Amino acid sequence: MVDPWYDRDPTLFEIQKREVQSEYPNLHFYREHDLIFVRGSFPLIDAGRVLDRFSIEIELPRNRQEDIPIIRETGGRIPRISDNHINVNNQAGDICLFVPEERWRIFPVGSSLLKFLNGPVKNYFLGYALKELGDPWPFGERLHGKAGIFEYYGELLGTSDEQVIRKYIQCLSKKTFKRHWPCPCGSGKKIRNCHVAEIQELREKVPWSYALKSLEHLRC
Amino acid sequence: MSDQYLKDVLTSQNLAEDSDQLKALRDHRADVEAILRKKFEESSPTIRYGGSVAKGTLILESYDLDIICYFKHEDTSAGETLKDIYYNTKAALQNDYLVEEKPSALRLKSRDVNEWGTDFHIDVVPGRYTDDEESDTFLYQSSGEKCRLKTNLETHIAHVKDSGVIDAIRLMKLWRVRNGLVAIVKNFALELLTIKLLEGKKGSALTDQMKYVWTELRDNHASLSIEDPANPEGNDLAELLSDAVRQSLSSVASSTLALIEKSGWESVFGSIESEEDADRKSQSLRQAAAAVVTPSKPWAIE
Repeated sequence: MVDPWYDRDPTLFEIQKREVQSEYPNLHFYREHDLIFVRGSFPLIDAGRVLDRFSIEIELPRNRQEDIPIIRETGGRIPRISDNHINVNNQAGDICLFVPEERWRIFPVGSSLLKFLNGPVKNYFLGYALKELGDPWPFGERLHGKAGIFEYYGELLGTSDEQVIRKYIQCLSKKTFKRHWPCPCGSGKKIRNCHVAEIQELREKVPWSYALKSLEHLRC
Repeated sequence: MSDQYLKDVLTSQNLAEDSDQLKALRDHRADVEAILRKKFEESSPTIRYGGSVAKGTLILESYDLDIICYFKHEDTSAGETLKDIYYNTKAALQNDYLVEEKPSALRLKSRDVNEWGTDFHIDVVPGRYTDDEESDTFLYQSSGEKCRLKTNLETHIAHVKDSGVIDAIRLMKLWRVRNGLVAIVKNFALELLTIKLLEGKKGSALTDQMKYVWTELRDNHASLSIEDPANPEGNDLAELLSDAVRQSLSSVASSTLALIEKSGWESVFGSIESEEDADRKSQSLRQAAAAVVTPSKPWAIE
């Protein structure tokens, strides 16, 4: 098995750690075997004022720094149900911060752990704190499971036609694409004569490996 | 000044007598007691509060209610062995609660589909008195070398209550929660450590007490030891202070001391958070949400 990325690149790890701890001094990095967990109290701060706090645990990705960290609420405050966007398929209580395919917009590859905390993590806990007080999720919420994936791609492609969405995902899931392939929009034209620019742009946003995972997810 | 700040931190961590949290705890305690009394009607076990409620060390940010359920010395109706008692108690509770096994206790969580797994902050601790005096108790221990633990609730409560360092203990509990040490070190171990370290410093200012404890954790973590006041010879607490635990305590203590040096006490426990009413809190949170540059929609795997 390959060494964890934080052992392969200790300098990058130290930079990320220092960055997080300078803004969140209560978050600490604990190593357990070859995994690293960031644990402590995560404050929701607005204009220098702490509005709320959540006890959290972040499990850093082991193999590749650019993978999405796993986050959990550990204080027992958030019921572990799908409606709270918690993965009920495992006991650990992993939170689904966003549809992974959407990471290019929310947490692009190459972003730091601090950006993760100040972005989707903060958004989630802000949303939950409001939900607890009777408000809706402030930025909306995705439908669960496959429906959420269709919803996301539908917004991205501007269509609600599941057949078309599937064809686009198939096209995006290939490592490379050929311009002579039929366009996934269903026009009957070749890609080069139809949505070539859009597809190129989409491929920059959604990595082929994510689209492949979406495809597998939709097949389940 | 700093001592006043720490006192204010502690005040903000009080659970008001009329608070919803305390009311919910009392309601659950009544439920649990009713369930256990019904199930073990023949035994009439002793059911009462233990833990931080009995010791006076409760903090709002992480409060647990220990409900002890001790059976008489010769009573076997709840189970022949300690293990039987533990699992029979679990069985009695699991129709109403999601019961999570802890080494000597049973953690109660919600099994309501709408709030599945919500932690009620309640541990039920089943045990059996060692003799007719009903003072010392044996508890089942699911992990560790021994399968039973001899303990004495009154001794534990008195050890903490009479320690003279309750404020420092509560602050150490808060420090444990705020710094992600919950999964690393048990409150019980931290309580014993704090009491032992502050033995000759009861009259010191709270700030000095805290700095002293953290300095000891940072510099002398390898030589620190604790013993169970209820069974000093018998219960080996070495496992509670393993090398990994010591290292973590030392590392967090070190960064805490550095923080105080660099940015003062508020950087450790934060500004005092006055309790806002729900409307004001919603308003502040909505304001914070409105300032978010990259919003994200949470999803759920099915």
